[in-house]
Amino acid sequence: MNSSLLTPSSSSSSPHHLQSPATFDHDDFLQNFFSSAPWPSSVLEDDAPPPTSDTAVASFHHHDVDSRNQITMIPLSHHNPNDAVDVNALYSGFSAGSLPFHFPQGSGGGVMKQSHTPTQSQATASTTTGGTATTPQTKPKVRARRGQATDPHSIAERLRRERIAERMKSLQELVPNGNKTDKASMLDEIIDYVKFLQLQVKVLSMSRLGGAASVSSQISEDACGSQENTSGENQTAAKMTEHQVAKLMEEDMGSAMQYLQGKGLCLMPISLATTISTATCPSRNPLVSAVKEAGVLLSPNTATTPVVDVKGASVITVKDASSVSKP
Amino acid sequence: MAFAENHINTDVPEKDVFALHFLQTLSNLSTQNPFSSPDKKSDRVKKIKKAAYVSMARAAGCTDRLWSRALLQRAAKRNNKIVRFPRRRKRVTWLRRRSNRRDPVEEAAAERLRNLVPGGGEMKTSKLMEETAHYIKCLSMQVKVMQCLVDGLSPK
Repeated sequence: MNSSLLTPSSSSSSPHHLQSPATFDHDDFLQNFFSSAPWPSSVLEDDAPPPTSDTAVASFHHHDVDSRNQITMIPLSHHNPNDAVDVNALYSGFSAGSLPFHFPQGSGGGVMKQSHTPTQSQATASTTTGGTATTPQTKPKVRARRGQATDPHSIAERLRRERIAERMKSLQELVPNGNKTDKASMLDEIIDYVKFLQLQVKVLSMSRLGGAASVSSQISEDACGSQENTSGENQTAAKMTEHQVAKLMEEDMGSAMQYLQGKGLCLMPISLATTISTATCPSRNPLVSAVKEAGVLLSPNTATTPVVDVKGASVITVKDASSVSKP
Repeated sequence: MAFAENHINTDVPEKDVFALHFLQTLSNLSTQNPFSSPDKKSDRVKKIKKAAYVSMARAAGCTDRLWSRALLQRAAKRNNKIVRFPRRRKRVTWLRRRSNRRDPVEEAAAERLRNLVPGGGEMKTSKLMEETAHYIKCLSMQVKVMQCLVDGLSPK
């Protein structure tokens, strides 16, 4: 490691730079690699990023490789300015021989930076296209990871994996106790949560037995006598709807419900409406506030049934003839 | 990676929409069996549970989501038979040669998720995750609504 590496050549790049042959050939390169002199100690002494690093990078891409003995190394510290990694440590890791593992897989002059950080980039797939990060001028040649080719399939695979990871992140926020870093345990949490929610629905539907019956009976009883509408915020169209509904309710409850549902409305006892509106978080939906108002104005014991519009914001109250509590 | 990914939309309507759909479905249920309490409790429970799911699917946007579509289709079947479609027909099998293409741990969990989420049988994994997120949101909304109703209507 004490001989100067770089044989004098016609290359114009600075002697501190390492580059791989542009037209990569497996056997050729290995031959050249092993035939070249060992890494120079001068490289290890390179502590400051040379100001010509960008030009060096440019030359790296455009350099015509006549003599494959020419090896240039791009100093890495400018690539990771925030890293506390010692430059020497980087180079020592580089010279430790991890390089040959990368090169045989390469299908082109990959960006050398990637091999310069074996400890960092071996696991990350995204740095294989690190050319896009700093050298956007040429089409970045994708450096292959160990055991993978750089065909479009693996790129698509990577894309797919990243998409899945993104969705996992959004799922993590939904699921309580989603602070697990392990993907497998996170998935287990998600599955358990879905099962839990489904179980909750089942349990709640069991307890709703009494409610369903009472709702239906209440509707049928109270609506029979409704004739009058007194709510102040009604419009004429709504009043017509109410008349229609009242008429239908005299004949048959079912047809009245169907008529309402065709319009996107629904009938419910006011106790339910108040329950829902009070239980909702303060919503800017005027629907809720109107229901609340209607509930407050009318006595909850009266046989009144507000008809709530799903789409719009108007609240129609169809009251019983016997209970008129107008504000 | 510099690919353009439009942000996934997993918005869910307000609680009121869920409540209204649920009550509509419930009233439908009660008008179908007017004043006649079915013999078995389990039947009733099943009906209410089905009503809950159907109303949830409707409230969340009937056909906007794969899971809601699958749920409604399943509910519309008379015999309640669940048909499993062949999974992931887009992926060509010869690609499976590469062992690191699919994470086996992840895929096992994805299988379980597919069994849980309606309509998950034929989705690709990324789509499955998206649907799961929306499904979870809707489920929690539905649970909240039902809980409110139970609390409000329970005798004091």
